[in-house]
Amino acid sequence: MKVLELKNVNKIYDGSEVHVHAVNNVTLEFQEAEFAAIVGPSGSGKTTLLNLIGGLDMPTSGKIIIDGSDLSGLKSSQLIDFRMRNIGFVFQAYNLIPVLTAKENVEFIMNLQKWSRKERDERTFELLKAVGLGDRMNSRPSKLSGGQQQRVAVARALASRPKFVLADEPTANLDSKSATTLLEIMEKLNHEEKITFIFSTHDARVVKMAHRVITLEDGSVVSDDIRE
Amino acid sequence: MIWKTAWKNVWRNRIRSLVVIASVTVGIFAGIFAVAFMNGMIAQRFDAAIDEEISHIQITGKDYVLNNDPQIMMSREDNIIPSIGSLSGISGIVQRTLVTGMAGTASKNAGVQIVGIAPEKEKEIFTLHKTIIPGTGDYFERESKFDLALIGQDLAKELNIIRFVIDSAVLIKLENQKVPAEILTKLSVISGKRFPNEKKFTSVVTSLLSKSELREYGQLIKKEAWSFRENSRMTLTFLDMDNNQVSSVFRIAGVYDIKNAMFEQVQVFVRNDVLCRLAGIDENSFHQLVIRINDLNQTVAITDEIRSGWPGLDVRNWKELQPDLAMMTDYVHQIYGLFMGIILAALAFGIINTMLMVVLERTRELGMLTAIGMNKRRVFSMIMLESVFLSLIGGVVGMIFGWLSVLLSAKNGINFAQYAEGMEAFGYSAHIFPEITFSFFILITILIIITGIASSVYPALKALRLDPAEAIRTE
Repeated sequence: MKVLELKNVNKIYDGSEVHVHAVNNVTLEFQEAEFAAIVGPSGSGKTTLLNLIGGLDMPTSGKIIIDGSDLSGLKSSQLIDFRMRNIGFVFQAYNLIPVLTAKENVEFIMNLQKWSRKERDERTFELLKAVGLGDRMNSRPSKLSGGQQQRVAVARALASRPKFVLADEPTANLDSKSATTLLEIMEKLNHEEKITFIFSTHDARVVKMAHRVITLEDGSVVSDDIRE
Repeated sequence: MIWKTAWKNVWRNRIRSLVVIASVTVGIFAGIFAVAFMNGMIAQRFDAAIDEEISHIQITGKDYVLNNDPQIMMSREDNIIPSIGSLSGISGIVQRTLVTGMAGTASKNAGVQIVGIAPEKEKEIFTLHKTIIPGTGDYFERESKFDLALIGQDLAKELNIIRFVIDSAVLIKLENQKVPAEILTKLSVISGKRFPNEKKFTSVVTSLLSKSELREYGQLIKKEAWSFRENSRMTLTFLDMDNNQVSSVFRIAGVYDIKNAMFEQVQVFVRNDVLCRLAGIDENSFHQLVIRINDLNQTVAITDEIRSGWPGLDVRNWKELQPDLAMMTDYVHQIYGLFMGIILAALAFGIINTMLMVVLERTRELGMLTAIGMNKRRVFSMIMLESVFLSLIGGVVGMIFGWLSVLLSAKNGINFAQYAEGMEAFGYSAHIFPEITFSFFILITILIIITGIASSVYPALKALRLDPAEAIRTE
């Protein structure tokens, strides 16, 4: 089932001194439960493309259709609500709320969606257990390692059962062992939860584990390999 | 979750938050204490004015006040007293005879208003009988073959019927009040010497003591050295109803002290029958009716009722007799609100500064929150709540300190004895008992919340303007 479609998407930054075609006529489709990596050299437009897919930025032209809805037709407030309900985010720098515990960070978005306490507790426990942090639920981020924090961030991204998860360089700040553990967990959750994962990455390990690898150069898709 | 996060965020940078909280605490504490102090001062002035000076309503014959014509009188035969006295809401009514004249002793004269009263009836309206300075006599209690007059402390000083003396009894009293021995030694030089007036006494004491000793103990020494010349006499001179000059010698019945120099200098009280006899006034006639009412809120209604029932009389209530008092009591809460508002406005700048730093420091986090779906209303609420929490914590602590300080100082009052002369010249007691109402704390709480919200608006708007994609990349 198609969860995301990009049609002739362009993003041009047109300043007084610079003119950058960051995303150039990209057309892509993502199916349910895909585990896809967007790769390419620095400045190839990976992060810009993820921002466009995540509704954090608007394309200069083209359409981004998520679950049948065109993002460009949504108002700012509708877009925020749309993101909350449909997209999970994992950031390079983890970006957990430092004053909240792992459990509170994970259930934050469920709170925004007004889930009941019982539902929240069950889902939080299920996810933190799945990322191997069932015993660190009440730890604050400062008491967790980088790898553990990123695992909490993955649990948070999946908490409200989004259509897909966008992960911008999720392993960039992790050591090799932590990165491998994280990727295994994400692959497992991708399989179990049937949620599409889209990464931007330089990390060969991520590329190796991805089921699909999209290569960008100068904002254009130069290859799109789907592996069996 | 927004509340919980905002609360936890307050304590993210403990020291910075505590500095803001401390500044709010000090501001609110100072504000509450200052307001309680002003409130106590005004309440005391109000009580003194009503209980000792003017009561609630005064009635005179038409244009008596305008012309000051002693011939304009009311008569008991008109049944005014029982008729007005029976109106609902009135708790007491007395008649008075008023004559303008001169009070004189061998050395001094002063213009006075001689008020003819029925002492026992007056006690139903006024508490002047409770203000007699011990040792100066009483409130027309004792029998005397002489005509008696009750005068104020300031008139007694004006007429030189007091004296100042430092004797062994005074030195013992001062010692008991913890006046240092070295000061007592200095004062013992003038022991037994009598000073006929305050000026001469002050001049000698000033030459004996240092400035700091005078500042600390000057008023106390003056208070203890002051004594009334017993069995003093004075002459009251005035015109009778036939415009003939009448002079009569009065013994001082007692000296009252109501901490209002203007009143004390002018108002001399004598028995009504004595004044009527001397001034040739029919005892059934009188110049003034003074009324006390049960409920202050009924002042205007009762005044209007009397005015409409007796259109031939001049009726004035306390608000009209002392407009300054009315203004103070009517607008006092607005003034206190404004006062606290100014303090909180000053504090708001500190809170705004802190909240701006908060937004700047958490740019990436705020970007992340917007990215994952926290809408603008929630982001705004979170920052606003954080600001309100900061203000409220400081406010509540400040209120507790303020309340405790009022509680402690109200027990014994705060005595500004060194400024007594100046304050009493305006009718204010120098011994102030701060007081505050519960409703004022509610007002402050509301003001603090408003301040917290107002202080958060600009920082919160800055947070709302953040571009999440850019904010997330902020280092």
